[in-house]
Amino acid sequence: MRDPETATERQSSAASVGVAGVEPPSRRRSILRPIASVALVLLAIGIAWQVAKLIGGDPWRYDDFLGTGIAFHHNPPLRVAQLSDRQLPHLWDIGAALVQPVQRGAQQSLGEFLVGAALYTWREAIIGFGLGALIGVVLASLFVHFRLLERAFVPYVIASQAIPIVALAPIIVVGLGRGIVAVVIIATYLTFFPVTIAAMRGLSSPDPRALELMRSYAASRWAIFWKVRLPASVPYLFTALKIAATASIVGAIIGEGPGGVPEGLGRAIINFNQQYITGPEKLWATILIASLLGITFFALVRVAEALVLRNRQRVDV
Amino acid sequence: MTNTSAGTAVRLADVEKSFAVQGGGETVALQGINLDIGAGEFVSLIGPSGCGKSTLLRIVADLIRPTSGTVEVNGKSPHRARLDRDYGMVFQAPVLFDWRTVEANVRLPLEVMNVARSEREQRVREMLELVELGGFLRHYPHQLSGGMQQRVAIARALCFQPAILLMDEPFGALDEMTRERLNAEVLRIWARLGTTVIFVTHSIPEAVFLSTRVVVMSARPGRITTVVDVDLPQPRTEQTRETDRYYELVTVVREALRGRLPAGAQDGPAALDGHPAKQRARAEGGIG
Amino acid sequence: MASSARAVPARPSMGLAARAVRLVIDYLPAMAVLVGALVLWEVLTAGPGRRVLPAPSAIVAGFDANADLLTRSAMNTYWEAIGGLAIGTVAGLAVAFATARWVSAREALLPIAIAANSIPIIAIAPILNNWFGVLNPLSKMMMAAMLVFFPVMINVTRGLVSVHPASLELMRSYATSDWTVLTKVRIPNMLPFFFTALKVGTTLSFIGAIVGEYFGGTSAVLGRVILTSMSSGRFDVAWAGILLGAFGAIAAYIAVVLIERVVIPWHSALRNQ
Repeated sequence: MRDPETATERQSSAASVGVAGVEPPSRRRSILRPIASVALVLLAIGIAWQVAKLIGGDPWRYDDFLGTGIAFHHNPPLRVAQLSDRQLPHLWDIGAALVQPVQRGAQQSLGEFLVGAALYTWREAIIGFGLGALIGVVLASLFVHFRLLERAFVPYVIASQAIPIVALAPIIVVGLGRGIVAVVIIATYLTFFPVTIAAMRGLSSPDPRALELMRSYAASRWAIFWKVRLPASVPYLFTALKIAATASIVGAIIGEGPGGVPEGLGRAIINFNQQYITGPEKLWATILIASLLGITFFALVRVAEALVLRNRQRVDV
Repeated sequence: MTNTSAGTAVRLADVEKSFAVQGGGETVALQGINLDIGAGEFVSLIGPSGCGKSTLLRIVADLIRPTSGTVEVNGKSPHRARLDRDYGMVFQAPVLFDWRTVEANVRLPLEVMNVARSEREQRVREMLELVELGGFLRHYPHQLSGGMQQRVAIARALCFQPAILLMDEPFGALDEMTRERLNAEVLRIWARLGTTVIFVTHSIPEAVFLSTRVVVMSARPGRITTVVDVDLPQPRTEQTRETDRYYELVTVVREALRGRLPAGAQDGPAALDGHPAKQRARAEGGIG
Repeated sequence: MASSARAVPARPSMGLAARAVRLVIDYLPAMAVLVGALVLWEVLTAGPGRRVLPAPSAIVAGFDANADLLTRSAMNTYWEAIGGLAIGTVAGLAVAFATARWVSAREALLPIAIAANSIPIIAIAPILNNWFGVLNPLSKMMMAAMLVFFPVMINVTRGLVSVHPASLELMRSYATSDWTVLTKVRIPNMLPFFFTALKVGTTLSFIGAIVGEYFGGTSAVLGRVILTSMSSGRFDVAWAGILLGAFGAIAAYIAVVLIERVVIPWHSALRNQ
């Protein structure tokens, strides 16, 4: 006996546990369209950048533009302070700075140096990310199972983020000494909060009837946790992990300053800020690399999410 | 209560349930419930919203405790019956886990109950064959239609071979045709396994088609109005739905729901509030 | 032990006194933790000598001794944070409405915004100081605004766009204009998302302001007070500054929660279940 299943039947049942909302199966959008539109927007930003300088920046005086032999002189009609070469370097100057030595007489190019610094910072961030995620899930599990603990401590979990970690960072360093431990702690501090909140939502997200079902099997609380709550919380966790990815990097960068970690991006930012007058492009290049680091980490988590959740119904969490 | 006859699956005596309500006061969900369900019976609970039929089902399942009265499930307390896994449950929504395949979903109770691994696979396959979804082991719930998902839920409820099957409006969310088809499937499974079934429904045709007895309930407070014996022959088929007797019984149930009790009821409406002697008389002798 | 999903939770009749008592009971565990932690802290760290983590009493003393500077700094920092919160919120709302209106804009901008949200924006702090002037509070406001902008924009866009298709069909059947759909359907749908973002934004705005101050600012702002007092070993003053910063962020958060209760009482009630 076969049911002639219709597509509407398939969509209309919001039956499965762990489905926050019911959406029609997502169209298989080609990966190219979002990439193309992002590239387009980046291009637009770049063009806007240079056009702004064309209109209101410092005079353009190029006798030999980037070694191509083209001469280009231009006097912008307006003069806006924020668009000067010091405040907003030309995009190609930033690019050029990347391939030039990081310091006068150094072997390494700025680009190499920054990538190395970024990877160093990333290592610290990942440890903080992992620790923060673990702490977040453990805390959330405790809160979901013991309401008294939730009532007692959740306000402080929220309040913990109100304490400006930026201000705490130097104190942590003084207390724990310079080095990577302090940095990891700061990164963990910023990571555990979104994960805790999201894990709490996720662990309590299963349909009450699923819990009734488990009770009808006389299942232990532990079994319910492992087989129902934890799997149901995974989509929520990934939402938080995407935020946590950035937060851990921010934490690592913040911690490196006072932490006196010379190899990381934090130190690079401070140094190049001090050298801003002589070489603004270096700071901008650092920002560029830091952005790429953040985006890359985010993208990796996003890809992991797509893989882990590939069999589940698509949910907007 | 005195001796439990060996063939009684569920016995409810003077069961009452009240809930406290926001703003003070109480609401009486169930009052004076007396009902005996024999082993192997197919009993439907039907009534308007608020008559307590789902509450009653959950009391049998030990998911709610009654305020007063005694409940025996399989000769034990509901709590014991739950710990012994004497019943399986199917809800209106399939409540499948979307991170597990169909096979893994059916396997869930066997995992929780620590059934030997070697045995699990076989039972799961058997059950899925029983509901005719043998080819869908590796599918994920969202790839199945509502009707198919419910069949998986039924397979899951039966895989650990419980003595009793509790079903709470399992086909309520499906369209009429799928519903009728699944009705036939449930009957087929019931005939094959001999499980006692307690079936909560809104649908009069469904209740009459499926059951050996239909328990009609009314609301405010929730109580049993009357019990209608369904003497349609087994096995029941699509033809059964078109017999005169079927229509008669549907009418009897409909009238009962409206408060107009079956002809020949001896003592009038008041005494039909689940008096134990009445219930037993009905169970043995048919209507009125 | 066994409770049905359908059972109505028992509550005593809610007179005003009863409701007040209920509130106290709800917050009792948290209060107990606070008091306990303060006592423990005091006991463990009391006594002479300069510590990295001074006793609460020492912090209070440090505050009293520098009350003027600390209050002025706190006010300045609060001003920067709130200003940044406002700017970032308005900008986020504006861009969100634009992207919600034009699908092409949304497809291009939303992924960028999500990606941009993962940029450690603290790297931009020195740039902003340079652009707007290190001593100008606006540079810190812009820092705060940048941190607030992305969550607001992403959440509001999602809220405006993720309306149930059935609601939209209903409005179409009433032959209403896009504007009416916006005001009667999309905006109410968006409000819970907006407030979620705003709550996140309160803490972010304070982080932004203080990070900005980190890289330079007038001497009467919390960030600089903390740094300078730490470098001179006055941890009690530093902690007073830190706690003032935390206090400001918490106050802003609570303010948003209260506003939310007033603006969308139906949603808050749902959440409290």
